[in-house]
Amino acid sequence: MQFMLMINEDESAYAGEGGAALMEQVLAGHMKLAEDLVAAGIPFSGERLKPASTATTVRSDNGTVTLHDGPFAETHEELGGFYIIDVPGLDEALEWAKRIPVPKGGIEVRPVWQMGPQG
Amino acid sequence: MAARPRVVAALAAQLRDLDAAEEAFAEAAERCLALAELPRDVAAWLFVAAKRRALDGIRKARGEARALDALGSDALAEISDMADILQLPDPIPDERLRLLFICCHPALGAEVRAGLALKVICGLPVSAIARLFVVSEQAMFQRLTRAKAKVREAGIAFELPARKAWPERLGAVLLTLELAFTAAYADAGGELAADVGEDLGAEVERLALLVAELLPEEPEALGLAALVLLARSRAGARLDARGAMVPLSRQDVYRWDYARIAQARALMEAAARAGRSGPCQVMAAIQLTHARRGFDGVVDWSAVLRLYDVLLALRPSPMVALSRALALAQTRGAEAGLDALDELPAERLALARPFHAARADLLAKAGQGNAAREALDKALALDPPRAERLWLEARRAAL
Repeated sequence: MQFMLMINEDESAYAGEGGAALMEQVLAGHMKLAEDLVAAGIPFSGERLKPASTATTVRSDNGTVTLHDGPFAETHEELGGFYIIDVPGLDEALEWAKRIPVPKGGIEVRPVWQMGPQG
Repeated sequence: MAARPRVVAALAAQLRDLDAAEEAFAEAAERCLALAELPRDVAAWLFVAAKRRALDGIRKARGEARALDALGSDALAEISDMADILQLPDPIPDERLRLLFICCHPALGAEVRAGLALKVICGLPVSAIARLFVVSEQAMFQRLTRAKAKVREAGIAFELPARKAWPERLGAVLLTLELAFTAAYADAGGELAADVGEDLGAEVERLALLVAELLPEEPEALGLAALVLLARSRAGARLDARGAMVPLSRQDVYRWDYARIAQARALMEAAARAGRSGPCQVMAAIQLTHARRGFDGVVDWSAVLRLYDVLLALRPSPMVALSRALALAQTRGAEAGLDALDELPAERLALARPFHAARADLLAKAGQGNAAREALDKALALDPPRAERLWLEARRAAL
């Protein structure tokens, strides 16, 4: 069963003194996680996204389309990246989600809709 | 019906769908009642009938081939003939524990777990559960529907958790049961039960005993069952002839259920052998100490105080501190108790009737009648249920 693990985090954690060092740590954590996933034989994909300030949002309202400078929702935590993993069930997905390094934020875990005959 | 929990649990485990399990059971139950003669093994009959019906449903919905894949052709062959039931040694695996763990999965909100367990395992009607948790029937129905959908869609496995996840998951199960029990127990006057015609406390007791029976090496599970038994043992003594609440220290011990007290004591002894203490066991120990008044005629308040000290360390909460202050007052006098109450966060407790009632009690003992009356007024202003209100009014009149 596929799950998307969405990394929502407060980017301000990486600002200021020590921010760069923290980022190094987190990146190292992600590399370790990828190694562990490979070692566990879990099919996965994932990407790191550039900061929310680089986002552009296409909004659609009854056919009218407008562009906005910034992410879809202005919140403290922004979408920073994601993983998609293939594991037997929610408990396993949650276990992996807990291992994603996130100084300040949370991981949303949601099942991916399977196309075709349901398992 | 006694067969319900085992059959529904087994169905849920095989169908991996709570709704389908409940519906299939309900249908099978109806058909069973319509039979000219009850089958010898009702539970087995229900299980096979329900599963057959559910399979038919799946076949129609998904096409024959996929139904076979989903459940395994062995399973189908197994139940091809009703007569086979008699040959199967134990056709219904005991999946109740599994179902309880699923209903208490942390992925489900805390406020919905207890309701889900009561609905799916005990078969309580939604109206009863709604009143238990003081929400509208529609709101509770929606909550439960969403919860069942989440179990189905979010990939919650129909398996017992892995051993290493056990402590966390068991904790969730016990907290759920405690919550359900507290809600049932708060109905001191039985208003809820009378309304709905169900003995909710009995349902929770059954669940707690089930968990203790299925997990005999888990001392906290035993402690919770003991706690529930002890509270239930006092059911006959909680109201007086007028329907007013009678507090524990004033209850007529001849109205206590000593069979339940003995059962609770046995559970606590078994829990003690495991050597791992915890909040449920401590709470049960406090209740057991109170229960000894039925044997010794007095309450060992210093023992109660010591136990509250332990409980406070395990579970720091204003309500525990409140109960501790009352015990303190019994050993060191009302003034000491009032000092302890003064240390509690008054803003947080402003809406808690027990806080005002406790203050009133100690103020009266300390000779401050007016202040006591004021405190009782505060409690009465917080809309107590009938049984409690009658008691508070009687206390006020006696000042």
